[in-house]
Amino acid sequence: MNRNLSRALAALALAVAVALPAFAGAYPLQVARNIIMYMALAVTWDMLLRSGQISFGIAGLFGLGAYASVLGVLRAGMPGWLSIPFAAVFSGLVALLIGFLILRLRAMYFSIVTLALAEIFRIVIHNLHDFTGGPEGVVLQGVIFGGDAGKLYWLALAGLAVALGASWWFENSRVHYALTAIRNNETSAKSSGVNIFRWLLVAFVVTSSIQGLLGGIYVQSYGFATPESVFDANFTLLPLAMALLGGVHSTVGPVLGAVLLGLAAEWLKLKIPYGHLVVYGVIIIIVILFMPQGLLGQARAMRRSADKRRKA
Amino acid sequence: MTKLRTEGLTKRFMGLVAVNDVSFSMEEGEILGIIGPNGAGKTTFINLVSGIAMPSAGRIEYKGRDITYAPAHERARMGIARTYQLIHPLENLTLLENVMVGSIFARGNGLKEARRKAEALCLELGLADLERETTRLTILEIKKMEIARALANEPEVLFLDEVMAGLNADETKDLIATVRRVAKERRLAVGVVEHVMGVIRELTHRVIVLEAGELIASGPYEEVSKNPRVVEAYLGGAAVHA
Repeated sequence: MNRNLSRALAALALAVAVALPAFAGAYPLQVARNIIMYMALAVTWDMLLRSGQISFGIAGLFGLGAYASVLGVLRAGMPGWLSIPFAAVFSGLVALLIGFLILRLRAMYFSIVTLALAEIFRIVIHNLHDFTGGPEGVVLQGVIFGGDAGKLYWLALAGLAVALGASWWFENSRVHYALTAIRNNETSAKSSGVNIFRWLLVAFVVTSSIQGLLGGIYVQSYGFATPESVFDANFTLLPLAMALLGGVHSTVGPVLGAVLLGLAAEWLKLKIPYGHLVVYGVIIIIVILFMPQGLLGQARAMRRSADKRRKA
Repeated sequence: MTKLRTEGLTKRFMGLVAVNDVSFSMEEGEILGIIGPNGAGKTTFINLVSGIAMPSAGRIEYKGRDITYAPAHERARMGIARTYQLIHPLENLTLLENVMVGSIFARGNGLKEARRKAEALCLELGLADLERETTRLTILEIKKMEIARALANEPEVLFLDEVMAGLNADETKDLIATVRRVAKERRLAVGVVEHVMGVIRELTHRVIVLEAGELIASGPYEEVSKNPRVVEAYLGGAAVHA
């Protein structure tokens, strides 16, 4: 696709996204909000993946941010809007501390530990009954913006903008070279002066704090949090599936995957209630088996072979 | 001026002593051959001085500074660069971007500056068509890219681990000339591991010989190649009759 065309498309998508509340009803707005949140999570998961590290801990940092936000309001008297950046800072700080411990791990070991951490966060919050409300959770006095559907939507859109902005920065700065070098060959990266641990820490803290931010936005939009709702495994699995479907190691891939899977999930929910997750799972399996590089990777491979045929 | 010096450098893997009590030094502008039979500890030795492996005992000094346990990425910044026997291209980056990495991280250059320097370096080494993926390069181009990547660190000490392996005679000649030229222009201290003795004879000022982890001889190639212990340990019967 040529550059001007993709710019024009992006501008159009942005205009439609921002103006959506002007012409969409409550239900499509709610669906869009949901897709936007998962899209943002998918982008953050991919950002860390660019270093080769597969995290299963999205739900953990998302849930942690959610609780930081609710408890910031209830226990520290923060205004709702302030509790959202607070959630980002809190998840970021936790990631910084645990990053020192777990970023020496690689591959499967890193993945398993992130999965376990998410579970540990949930159990801790579950059991700190007096402070966190325990298994029953906590309820806010009200939803942010008085529950105005348009404003809640824009809030979600702002969360997505943060994720996309960070992802763009990752792609267009030295971060891109650091993470790609680490993913391709750590020994080589070291010999070129890349401080591997430091760059992994940067990627882990940045993505975790955005996941915390999104948790804050989520919980302020619904007005309550329970350990089961905000640490739901779907917050890990759906973003992961979206990024895999669209194509990893880029911003566009997860965005594309989120739109397709998000819409498919909504449609399937209506057609086969309760059965939609099965179909969803089948889609993911097919993608992983037949298009391991995702839709974008597939498109790139097809273009390359077309080029080759033209030359031959 | 002495760039790099080791004292009693030793590396043990469980029971095996891969590098045993090696003391040596490298001078500015010197091309040093590091030779020895397979398993003599040449690559382990380079791993130790470049920080990819940590020694069990001994000391490493770079320009008079103790760097025995300095991490690899810091040594890259100080000015120690290397290539690898098993090539390690960064396959998700283009040829040019591969070379940029050292400039960005070892030298702290911004992306534009790194791109400019990497282009100049590739031009100097005779690499063209720089936006190619590394999977499309010829062996000679890959070897040159590996050297360009190491030079992007702007090093003072450079190790080349079997960089000529897999090249035909013409390509080897080309690369020998290239290495000699870049080393001379930069006053580099170069450590060369090679199995092809012709390359060692032509390229190096001095060689050290490792056998079973121990340094058994040091001196100009002509001299060392006549040393009975070296002939016996390394060159074998064929050389005795030659």
